[in-house]
Amino acid sequence: MANNNPLAETTFVQSGDTRRSAKISRETISAIAVAVLCVVLLLGARFVSPSLGSWSQVETVLILGSFLVVLSFGQGLVILSGGLDLSLPAMITLGGILATNWIGSSDPGAWYLLPIVLLVCAGVGFLTALGIVILRVPPFIMSLAMSIIVSSALLGYTKGTPRGAAPEMAIALMKGSVFGLPAPILFTIGFVILGWLIQSRSIFGRYLYAIGTNVEAARIAGVPVFTAQVLPYVLSATCAGLVGIMLVGYSNGATLRMGDDYLLPSIAAVVIGGSSILGGRGTFLGTVGGALLLTTLGTIISAIGLEFGLRTIIEGAIVLTALLLLREELFQKLGSLWK
Amino acid sequence: MKLNTVKSIALALALGSTALAGIQPAAAQDKEKFKIYLSLSYSGNAWQSEAANIVKALAATPPYNETVELIEVISGTDPQAQISAYESMIDEGADGIVSFPISSTALNRTIRRGCEEGVLFFMYDATVTENCAYNVSYLTAGFGENTAQALVNELDGKGKIFLSRGVPGNSVDKRHTDGAMHIFNQYPGIEVVSEYYSYWDDRTTQQETAKALAAHPDVDGIWAQAGEYGAVQALLDAGDRLVPMTGENSAGFRLALANPDMQEKGLSGVSAGSPPAQSGYAFKLMMEILTGKRELEPMNIEYPLPWVPAASVQVCEGDVYENGCNVFPADRVPSSFVSEVLNPVLLPEVNVESALNGTPVAGATIQPLPAEVVEAANEPGINCSRCEASETLYELTKIEPTVQP
Amino acid sequence: MSEVLPNEASTSPAPVMGSLLRQLTQGAGLIVILYVALYAIYGYLQPRALEPYAIAALMNNTAPLALAAAGQTFVVLSRGFDLSLAGVISICNVTLAVVPIEGPGGAALSVLLCLAIGASVGAVNGFLVAYLRLQSIAATLATMIICQGIALVILNAPGGFVAEWIVYEMTDRLWGLVPVSGLVVLSVVALWLMLRRTDFGVAIYAVGADEQAASLSGVNVRRVRFGAFVGAGLLYGLAGFMLSAQTATGNPNSGTPLLLLTFAAVALGGTSLAGGRGGLFASVIGAATLTLLQKVLFSTGVSSFYTGIFQGAVLILAVVFSTAISRIGEEK
Repeated sequence: MANNNPLAETTFVQSGDTRRSAKISRETISAIAVAVLCVVLLLGARFVSPSLGSWSQVETVLILGSFLVVLSFGQGLVILSGGLDLSLPAMITLGGILATNWIGSSDPGAWYLLPIVLLVCAGVGFLTALGIVILRVPPFIMSLAMSIIVSSALLGYTKGTPRGAAPEMAIALMKGSVFGLPAPILFTIGFVILGWLIQSRSIFGRYLYAIGTNVEAARIAGVPVFTAQVLPYVLSATCAGLVGIMLVGYSNGATLRMGDDYLLPSIAAVVIGGSSILGGRGTFLGTVGGALLLTTLGTIISAIGLEFGLRTIIEGAIVLTALLLLREELFQKLGSLWK
Repeated sequence: MKLNTVKSIALALALGSTALAGIQPAAAQDKEKFKIYLSLSYSGNAWQSEAANIVKALAATPPYNETVELIEVISGTDPQAQISAYESMIDEGADGIVSFPISSTALNRTIRRGCEEGVLFFMYDATVTENCAYNVSYLTAGFGENTAQALVNELDGKGKIFLSRGVPGNSVDKRHTDGAMHIFNQYPGIEVVSEYYSYWDDRTTQQETAKALAAHPDVDGIWAQAGEYGAVQALLDAGDRLVPMTGENSAGFRLALANPDMQEKGLSGVSAGSPPAQSGYAFKLMMEILTGKRELEPMNIEYPLPWVPAASVQVCEGDVYENGCNVFPADRVPSSFVSEVLNPVLLPEVNVESALNGTPVAGATIQPLPAEVVEAANEPGINCSRCEASETLYELTKIEPTVQP
Repeated sequence: MSEVLPNEASTSPAPVMGSLLRQLTQGAGLIVILYVALYAIYGYLQPRALEPYAIAALMNNTAPLALAAAGQTFVVLSRGFDLSLAGVISICNVTLAVVPIEGPGGAALSVLLCLAIGASVGAVNGFLVAYLRLQSIAATLATMIICQGIALVILNAPGGFVAEWIVYEMTDRLWGLVPVSGLVVLSVVALWLMLRRTDFGVAIYAVGADEQAASLSGVNVRRVRFGAFVGAGLLYGLAGFMLSAQTATGNPNSGTPLLLLTFAAVALGGTSLAGGRGGLFASVIGAATLTLLQKVLFSTGVSSFYTGIFQGAVLILAVVFSTAISRIGEEK
């Protein structure tokens, strides 16, 4: 997908120090704005129910949000590189099913099999990437088709009945606690730092911004385009597989539809976090904010005593409001006021 | 560039031809055999696959292993896909279709056409309102009102409760919840503080219950549809306190009800709800009609509501439910295993392995069903259209109120 | 990677018949061939496939997805994604089930109602995307959620009855032969072929291919984009109407299964998801191919567990072929 957004292009081409400062100001504002919205929602939740807004709700949001944070890191990388990954639900299920089937049914303590499960997911992500980069199938279609294929293969593999139990490692990850803090929260914090380093502080990250902005220009500038196009899908599939394992640890088992509810939220988290769906722009911290915002919203909405249809309408309206508030033009205006 | 193009075409051609090689005209039919289709919504949760496995096991049990050709078709959650599948089955000359219908109304036109061509339709669990189909279901047996009363009794008529519901906009979920609210509304002391949709899934139930607990950590009881074991896990995640709750038939929930540790933490309640065994009952009824052993006009048949209070839970040692046992131990089945899949009276041919793998039991043969079938009461939108609800709707059948409103 | 400018927009007017034929086949050629080939296999496997009843049943099954995919094409051509269709179709469906209006007059009213619903949601989408410059996928995700909520408020469980006139007449065959649902889809295609020759039609392609260039050459980009969403909404409304005719009842979730399928149909038809290239007719045939593929896979007796593998493979292969062939065409 080519990106014809001249704004993004000039930011990149100008390069040098101005680019960094420009990027920081806009993207930091965007990330901060999401974080502020999150806090406002949490505090506002006290009006819905007095028990909300407490530390225990924050804990719930962080644990439930950890799935979306990990997932949307991968989705965010793919989107940043100018693609889109619709295969996430199937990859989550793949990770979950393999973890319970291979590890859970033989030896729940066999933690060393977990990396192999992730490798398999990475391999499938590699196939998706090959279809996109070599066969030139649009990402949307390639990942959708891959999703259908993997789901079907899993259905056949399990004969419709997933077996096995959650690996001990996965349970420890989701249920354990370290220094009195729940392990999944510490894990998520670690993951966010690592993700931020990869996306914003590594050469690979910079390559992604480059190819997401303009592939041909990136190629001329010496970016290893093939690697930079393939890796996001591999990482995205791996993250999804990891989410599958986390979900298995959280709820003690796998089902064939365990990933279904995460596709649209993963895209929404990335976009609400200020990334461009066309690629080339966005930060992981913004995405994390988007993921937490969506999860917070979910916990509050479910506490409102209205019928489901009305709750759904409110949820949609809040998502829309968030999008409108986080609009880039607004930031530009704010930015010009600042100067 | 050009070379690349040629290459990719060649590759695609190669892939395409292998794909096509798998396509052959359907094998010549053995005219002796009954052609039966098993049409599912989606496979992948324990309930759906157990229901399918029971039918597969029965079709592989003598004498049906010689006389029945069973073909399984999965249609996802899209009623249009099931309409298309039914059309194809009718065109292929089906004798009978055993099905979990995705919609209670959208399939009616296609079913009517099939009936006109002489196809028998047996719906299990979920129902259709077309009256030329047979519905075999527990839906009319009052899951919602009976479990609600059980919870009210446990709570002495007062307390804050959660409703963990099924799928929004689904007629089964609505029937259950309407029945439950009919009871809860009679008790002003009962306050429904949170109501959420758990999609009949353990993991979703756990997440949604966790969200509700964040807002209402002081909940006193939970009324849950399928997925109930997720609610137990969410309570354990949040602290060491369990509450009285009612739910469906997962092995995890039943074992928890019988577990003294869990009881100590406050768990009590009833396991009731949707039995996958309905599929086997529907299949056997249909085969008895097809083989001329039974005459039965299309009707709504009620499958009894399973009802296992905490005190009655008994762990099995063998492969079948015998001597009053009603749940398999954790090393035998996963926690999501739906316990009401066997029925010593209606389905003596199958065992737990049949439910897990669809395999027949060695040496078993098909046994005749009891002659009598229980006709279900009319419920508009559930098993009939443009009809009146029966007067006994929401009448309690399994439990007496121990507290007065 | 600059996208190819639409051929059809730049060709000089040719003799009407020839150009019509070319318009029909351009881009759509491959998918039409695939469809015919699949139909041949289907006819070979299932002798009853060619009976008028079977054809009509297949058409009835195809129409909602075909119309929804046609609507999606509008948005995709102008370089965007539209998720709102899941909500629009559901709202139309539950509305028709809750407020059945009998008779041919009632059917006309019902169609207008659906079109109005679709157009209003489309207008909101268009406003959000074209004027407030939200990203299309995000804005329509929000409207989709809201619309699904509205559908649940109107009808909170499946039920209700769609007017009998609609149910019987819209799924019937004229003179026992021609399926009405097929005619509805055909007339949409015909309308599109006319629309494509107008300034608006040309502008959609131009905006999708290169917004900057289109703007410089005097196209009102905002208005075109807005129009594309409204056009899409109208077609979703019609899709909801045809879906109601087929299912005869209301279901607040009825639109959801069509969501991702429309993208598959659009891509199968060879329309570029990066905008500016492709056409509505091809998407319609793409949708028809997806529905037919279900039938063919059923007749081949492939285990239901594995049909998804074939569906995915066909999707990838069809897109690989169509890009490869169009690339060869360009190189010549």
